[in-house]
Amino acid sequence: MFPLGTFPACKAATMIVAAGLFASTLAAADAPPATLTDIATLQHIQQEVQQLLPRVRQAVVAIQAGNGTASGVIISADGLVLTAAHVPDKPGRDLKVVLEDGSVTTAKSLGLDKTTDAALARLKDRGKPWPFVNLSREVTKAQPGEWCFALGHPGGFDKARGPVLRVGKIIKQTANGLHSDCVLMGGDSGGPLFNFNGEVIGIHSQIWEGRDQNVHVSMAPFLRSWDAMQKSQVIKTWGVGAGGYLGVATVMSDDLEVAVADVIEGSPALKAGIRTGDVILSVNGDPMTDQQQFSATVRARAAGDQLKLKLRTQGKEHEISVKLAQKPQDEGQ
Amino acid sequence: MTKGNTSSASKRPALICALELPAFFLLLLNPLLHADPSRPTLPPEDRTNGKHTLAAIENLKPHTVGCAARVESLLGRTIGTATIVGNDGYVLMKASEVPDLEKTRIKFSDGRKADLREVHREPRLDLVLAQAVGITGLHPASLEAAARTLPLGQWLCSVAHAGTETRLGIVSARTRRIRGEGAAMGIRMEEKPAKAGKGVRIVGVASDSPAEAAGLKEGDVLLSIAGENASDFQRVHDIIKQRQPGETLELRIQREKQEETCRVRLASRTKVLDNWNGEDFANGGVSLRNDNFPEVLQHDIPLLPTDMGGPVATLEGKIVGINIARVDRVTTFALPVEVFWPETQQWIHADRHPPKAVLAK
Repeated sequence: MFPLGTFPACKAATMIVAAGLFASTLAAADAPPATLTDIATLQHIQQEVQQLLPRVRQAVVAIQAGNGTASGVIISADGLVLTAAHVPDKPGRDLKVVLEDGSVTTAKSLGLDKTTDAALARLKDRGKPWPFVNLSREVTKAQPGEWCFALGHPGGFDKARGPVLRVGKIIKQTANGLHSDCVLMGGDSGGPLFNFNGEVIGIHSQIWEGRDQNVHVSMAPFLRSWDAMQKSQVIKTWGVGAGGYLGVATVMSDDLEVAVADVIEGSPALKAGIRTGDVILSVNGDPMTDQQQFSATVRARAAGDQLKLKLRTQGKEHEISVKLAQKPQDEGQ
Repeated sequence: MTKGNTSSASKRPALICALELPAFFLLLLNPLLHADPSRPTLPPEDRTNGKHTLAAIENLKPHTVGCAARVESLLGRTIGTATIVGNDGYVLMKASEVPDLEKTRIKFSDGRKADLREVHREPRLDLVLAQAVGITGLHPASLEAAARTLPLGQWLCSVAHAGTETRLGIVSARTRRIRGEGAAMGIRMEEKPAKAGKGVRIVGVASDSPAEAAGLKEGDVLLSIAGENASDFQRVHDIIKQRQPGETLELRIQREKQEETCRVRLASRTKVLDNWNGEDFANGGVSLRNDNFPEVLQHDIPLLPTDMGGPVATLEGKIVGINIARVDRVTTFALPVEVFWPETQQWIHADRHPPKAVLAK
């Protein structure tokens, strides 16, 4: 167990990098500036949550797998459900699903990613459109300090109680997860963490002993492994190109900008005119400040998605549009 | 990113990642829970219950901390929180946490301390009305608000830390009745009577249970319970089941030829059984009694069992309830104002105006 909120001792190399990034606007190891919350902010948060709740809570379900009880969230009218991998534990499993009004239906688990605890299931009844919410493709937007809210069925489904709401803040974003201070407990697993657009940004996965140690799977592994999950595959490891494939390698320049170090033969990047030495300034309007952020931004998109890249080539800024492809089979691993 | 990508000797560079990876990039290969020092982390003071966020409700302190008091044992240990309901010393507390007011004292935020006189005990609501002896000029809670109609997501604040600080949370579930499942001690018993038909052997003690707190151990033989000989496990079970959480039972036990007496304070059955293997992450424990309430307001304010009895207010500073049970990691129950205040006013009135003696004709 690591103490959240403190920086564990880290390698000297890391320290140097962090110190070097300190000067940039959104440095990797730089906490957001402290501001005092005022009552108007809290009232605004309250208003937003109360506006979104009637719609989003209908998509939150309780899931019973064997003797265990958990949660999930419907993300398409035809009944795709996001949950945590440790809920179904394997593809092809029959799950009992309870909707908010207490009505019971069934689902089958599809693929899952045990490394990150992401899983997909499908409601069997295709006769009617299901109430659903969207998931957020802007994975990197869930930054520390952002307000968020959690729903789920802690301790199991209770019709008189309904799903339980918790409002809190993102504490940390990791490669595949989010930590928040929305307090979770047993039965919440698989339930959704929402942003203030009413989109799913996380799936409840684990808790540690501290009240602020609540871990959610982010949308990154879902987006990256979407096709494999739909095909009921068990994803044990994940590769760089499992999401949308762009085909560039980057390096941090001396000016601490994300620079293109190489462009892969036949890649979407090459076709779109990206060349070695270009500086990547922004993706879809989001400024790119480090490689991690850039790779997460690209990987969060599916093959076929369009990206707008703002580049600087030999001192000149210009925008290009690029359509991400499927990762070639012989690449990486 | 895979291990293959980290080798700079590979023919092609890794996709969208550094050619020469700094050491901490390797952390991306680790499962979700590994500490990743390269990632920004929200400092504790900026979190939902950190001091920078709580600054928003600093001005509400007169409505929260100002009408709460600390209930302590004679040795000065915090055992609960009280809500002030009359300027002449009337306070409400969670009854099952203060079974014996003679052994408690109350300490107000202005530093004054007093003994408590019990006025009315109401097991249905798990409340006790008491009066701080010789205290006047208090700031009572204004209890005219409506709590039943509060929607989910409504911010609430409450007193914490022995009535000295505030904490923030929201209405997190529907207001509803909580049924009771009776009381439990947290023991498993052998079905056949112990030696010579005398007593019942304990074969299991639940984690964090009343039995464990009282020092009972596996192998102990229960000789009597509440003054009745324990001859049959079913009878022991029935005696416990008839009691309420918070009640104290006297036991006589035999341990390695020694007979001993001990007292056990019973807890709500549901929670004891749920936590048989110590899987309860309540972060600071749960209340002895956390069910059997006619109506509760559920919120997610991070509190401790000793914070029960304190007031709950909205952002407008209106008191909407009194915290009545810390249930689990995500749940605290409060009694809505409408549930206890009409009755409480009658108890106070009756105590202020005792029936006058009339001369016999």
